[in-house]
Parts: sequence; structure tokens; C-alpha cells
Amino acid sequence: MDSRLMSLTKTLQQSMKPKAPRERRRNIFRRIFQHRMAYVFILPAVLAMLLIHIIPTVQALYMSLLDLNVRTLLQYLRAPFVGFAHYEKIIGGIVLGTGDANIKGLFQALINSFWFCLWLQIGTLGIGLILALLLNRKFWGRGLARTLVLLPWVVPTFVVGIVFQFIWLQRGGLANRFYLDFMTMVPDGFQTFLHTILTWLLTGMDKIFWFWEFNPKTIAWLLNPKPISWLIGPNARTALIIAGMWSGLPFPTVMLLANLQVIPQDLYEAASVDGANGWQRFRYITLPYLKPIMVITTMFGIIYNFFGFGPYNIATSMFNTALDLGKHVNLLLIVIVRQTFNNQLYGYGAAASVLMTLIALVAIGLFYWLFRSSMISE
Amino acid sequence: MATVQTSMPLKPTRYPSIRAAKIRSVIVNRLLDLLLWVIVFIILIPIFYIILASFKGRGEITNPTAPVIPEVWNFKNYPEMWRQIKFGPLFVNSIIVVGSTTLVATFFAALAGYALARFRFPGADAYSLAVLGTQIIPGSLFFIPLYLTFLWIKNTFGIPMVGSNFGVICLYVGFFTPISIWILRGFFANLPPDLEEQAMVDGATRFTAFWRISLPLAGPGIASTAIYIFMTAWNELFFGYTLGVKTVPVGIRQFVFGASGTQLRYDLMAAASVVITIPIAVMFLLLQKQFISGLTAGAVK
Repeated sequence: MDSRLMSLTKTLQQSMKPKAPRERRRNIFRRIFQHRMAYVFILPAVLAMLLIHIIPTVQALYMSLLDLNVRTLLQYLRAPFVGFAHYEKIIGGIVLGTGDANIKGLFQALINSFWFCLWLQIGTLGIGLILALLLNRKFWGRGLARTLVLLPWVVPTFVVGIVFQFIWLQRGGLANRFYLDFMTMVPDGFQTFLHTILTWLLTGMDKIFWFWEFNPKTIAWLLNPKPISWLIGPNARTALIIAGMWSGLPFPTVMLLANLQVIPQDLYEAASVDGANGWQRFRYITLPYLKPIMVITTMFGIIYNFFGFGPYNIATSMFNTALDLGKHVNLLLIVIVRQTFNNQLYGYGAAASVLMTLIALVAIGLFYWLFRSSMISE
Repeated sequence: MATVQTSMPLKPTRYPSIRAAKIRSVIVNRLLDLLLWVIVFIILIPIFYIILASFKGRGEITNPTAPVIPEVWNFKNYPEMWRQIKFGPLFVNSIIVVGSTTLVATFFAALAGYALARFRFPGADAYSLAVLGTQIIPGSLFFIPLYLTFLWIKNTFGIPMVGSNFGVICLYVGFFTPISIWILRGFFANLPPDLEEQAMVDGATRFTAFWRISLPLAGPGIASTAIYIFMTAWNELFFGYTLGVKTVPVGIRQFVFGASGTQLRYDLMAAASVVITIPIAVMFLLLQKQFISGLTAGAVK
């Protein structure tokens, strides 16, 4: 259709629409009745959401105020009311450091989850950006490369765990094969140096100053490289982060690539004429265009990695257990589910979940507040 | 002649530098191509490795001296895995559950997304906010009340919500409808309303206009939403396990956690992993274009 004709029809439609004040004056019931079709349309979705999300969540919020455990489970919502006792216990235990083993585990898991989210987000966004930039050029086999990069996406998360379990196996795992083969190739002095670097990197994922907790036992390995036990101790954290990164990489890559493709090319030409070099063109044209999608992807990432079941599935199938994964890899969701089930503290578990949601909400809100200008400009 | 020579102030000295710059840019570009293919190869390593591992013999995977590429290709892992965890029924069950979830959830989401895009009804803003809000409720908060609610429905009304496909389909429909509404709303909002209005002037009902006109026009969006739901539902393990339904992830979970008490059969695990991934890989590769365009359409604007 001719664009002028289209704009004409649009103007006509707008002029035929009822005026706003008249609409506002109308009775609310008449407006509801007028839009009755809309309510019929949303009814199935509303019913599904009520059954799955709303009713159980309201129950869970009330449940977090009850002393619901294995003895009182049969009474369910008529269990003894304890008010905010669970919240006091958790927050007090964390703040004052006086909590029992459960609360200590919860706090450790919170820290783990925080670092897990942070490293995963930095890693996937960084590598995703590099990949998107590389894929956005003209080269032989571009369509193929774009498809292959997306393949980790189709691997179910519990299969990702199994795959990476194979890679991290201490005996015969791919990572150790590479590592040992590589070590036999490099000269002795350099080998020691490499192992030291690697050990630092592995043991210090959550320390800002890695060398603070340098383990003297590793000096014994340095002289004689042995297979690394990737899934035990602090190494497990790196193993989990790399598995999560592999699984989470395609989403930001696709999003960034799609946004790179809509940047007007004449901006780059104009910048080149003005004498801007490659870095300046990236910094002042590409990056501002990509900022909104980077912010949105990060917000999705926080939700997905902080309390999604993706990392839960990866971790439980990588370590072959849903029980204690060790203090280095216990993520918040895993710990809450385990404490709820194993100790049958249902009220406590609900309170912990509510606190987890609040923390995530604060994080998302803070993030939104920091970057709201770039969201609005979009 | 002399005038001609002086009136052609060509700068032959510039040519080599331009050519050098061109050559340099070609070399840089080819090096970047190389870097890209190296990254792509690294990304594919885990997939290659699990496929290779599924053709290895028992104990060969944990043997450091055995080569990465098996010397003797062992094709017996697949039938053995299939028998040992009774994979066939699991697979059929999973297809039924995930397929019906995809159909029903896409339909519900299309209806609601259409309503949100076309009508300014009272409560529309609150409703779309609630749709988003459901996404930040963690599963660990509501899974126990959900289970107990389902149990109550089963005991009171006799509807088999726990331990049956029907219950888990209801659950997944509720799970995946909100985010699908959010995706589809943008698609319907971008469609011009003229065609529907003409159809309704000609006597079609609102639903007919939606079903016959808007739904086909929003085809790419519908397709990408359906693929998204299918992939995510195929992935879902925790709630399926809680409701005691026999889908593929739940079966594999028992297998991986060694419920039978036997030692881990890594070779069979690899074979199972490959078989599970094949349906969504095929679906994704076939419908990749629609999926990507649908997913990024909202983000690019």
C-alpha cells in the first residue's frame, strides 16, 4: 500500500476515535462491558496463571509465616503461626553470624550465587560481544558459522551437565588430557610457571586478591604435573562457571548480532571520513547502539542464573547428585531446595525463597536505576 | 606537450601506501576469520566429545591411555541404553507432554497477547505487569504449595493432577504462557488493524478475525514462541520430577544418579544424552530462521 495512503487512513482512524475525556467520563462498568471480548480472550491465560503462579505463591507467602515442618505438614495452613520468626532467624543469623549450620550454608550459597552470576554474566557478554563482532563481517561460510555458534542452545541443561562431567573427569577427561599433553610439550621451568598461574586462577575465582589464599600443597604438584581433580574443592567452581558459560553463550550472541545488523552503515563511513580509527568507531558508534540490549540481556541473566533451574540442572547432573555439592559450588536454589526437602522445614524454606526473591528484585531494581537512561532512549 | 605534463598533478607516491593498506586489511580480516573458526571449533568440542564418547566401550571413557577417537566403534550403547531405562515409553511420553504443552500454551498466549495489543480494557496495565511479575517468582517458593494444591484437586475432584500427563501439561501451560504472552504481544501490536476491521465490517466476529487474519499474519512470531516453549519444556526436570511424571529428563535423572545402585555407565549416559538432544536439534535447525527473527524482533526495535 502507498505510504501516503496509509498515513491518510491512520489520520482518518484517529479522527474517528472517540475523544479521551468522553471516554473517561463513562462508567467503568460500561467500559468493562464494552471490552468484554478482551476478558474472554485473556481468560484462559488468567486461569492458568492463577492455578500455577498466583494461588501457590499466595499460599507460600503465608506458609513462610508458619512453623510448617514434618510434624505439622498434615495441618498445612493450620500449622502454628510464628509470624516473622523465620525471617528473623535467617537475617539475624547472617548479619550477626550466629546462625546454625543451615543458615551458614545459606549465606555461603548466597555468596556463591553472587559470584557465579557475576562471572557468568561478564564471560557470556564479553565472549558473546567478540563473537557477534566477528560474525558480523563478510567471510566464507558465514551462515554455517552463525548456525554452529547457536548449537549449545539446543542442548538441554541437564545434558550440558553430563557433557561437562565427561570433560572434567579426573581420569580420562578431556580437560586433563589437554592439560597433561600440553605439559609434556613445554619446558620444565615454564611448566612450573604455567601450573602456578593455573592454580591461582582456579583457587581464586571468588577472591579479589587471588594470592591471599595460595595453597602450599599445590607446590608439591608443581614439580610433577598430575591430573587435576576438577570437580573437587575450589576447582569445581571454575568447572561449573565454564559449563554455564558454554550453555549461556548463544543467547547474548544472537541478541548482540541482531542489534549489530541494524546499526546504520553510513555512521561508520562518516566517522571514517572524519578520521576515526577502529577503536573510536567501536567506542562511540557500536557500543552506544548495543548498550540497551546488553542491559536487557544482563537483567535476563540475573533472573535466569540467580534462581532459574538452568544452573540447578547443570550443577546437579555434572556432580551426579542433588545433595551437598560442597561449599564451593552450592548455589542458592540448590541449597534452599535441599534444606527444604532434607530437613523438611517447609516454612523456613518458603521464607528463604522470599528473601532470595527480594535480593534479586533489589539487584534488578538497582541495575535498572543505574542504566535507566539507556533503556528509555531505546 | 609541456602544458599537458604539468597539468596532470597525479601523485604516484600515494598508490603503494593504499595498496599496502588494502593488503593489510585483507590479512587482518583473514586472521579474524581464523580466530572466529577457532572459537567456533572450541564451542563445538563438547558436542563432538559426547558423540564420540557414545561410541566407546565400557570403561574406555575413564581410561586416560585410550585415544579420544575410539579405535573400535561400538554401536551397542544405543540399544542397550534404550532397553535399560525403558527409553521408548519415556520418549513417547515426553513428546506427548511437550507437544500438547506447546500447542495449548501458544494458543492461550496468542489469545491474551492479541487482547493486550488490540484492546485498552480496564486492568490491561495491571495484567501485563502481573504477567511480567510471574517471571520473578522462584520455583523453590511455590513448588510445595503447588504440589499440595494439585494433590488437593486430585483428592477432592478426582482430576489426576499428580502423577499423570494431564497435571504436568497444566503445569507447563501455566509456566510458559506468561513469557509467550510477552513475546506475542509485540507481534500483534505491529500488525495493522485495518484487515481485521474490514473483516468485522463484513460480519466476522472478533474471534474469527483473530483466527483467520491475525494469527496467520503473526506466523513467524507464533513459530518462534512455539519453538521456545518446546525447547524449554523439553528441558524441564525439577517440576516433572516433583509431580512424579515419567518424562525423558526424569528418567535420565534416575539413571544418572544411579538409582539402581550400579556403578555409573558413562557410555550409556553419553548415548542417552545424544538421543535426548536430537529432537530439539533437528527442530531448531529446521526452524532456525523464524526462531531467531521472532526472538530478536522485539529486541531490535
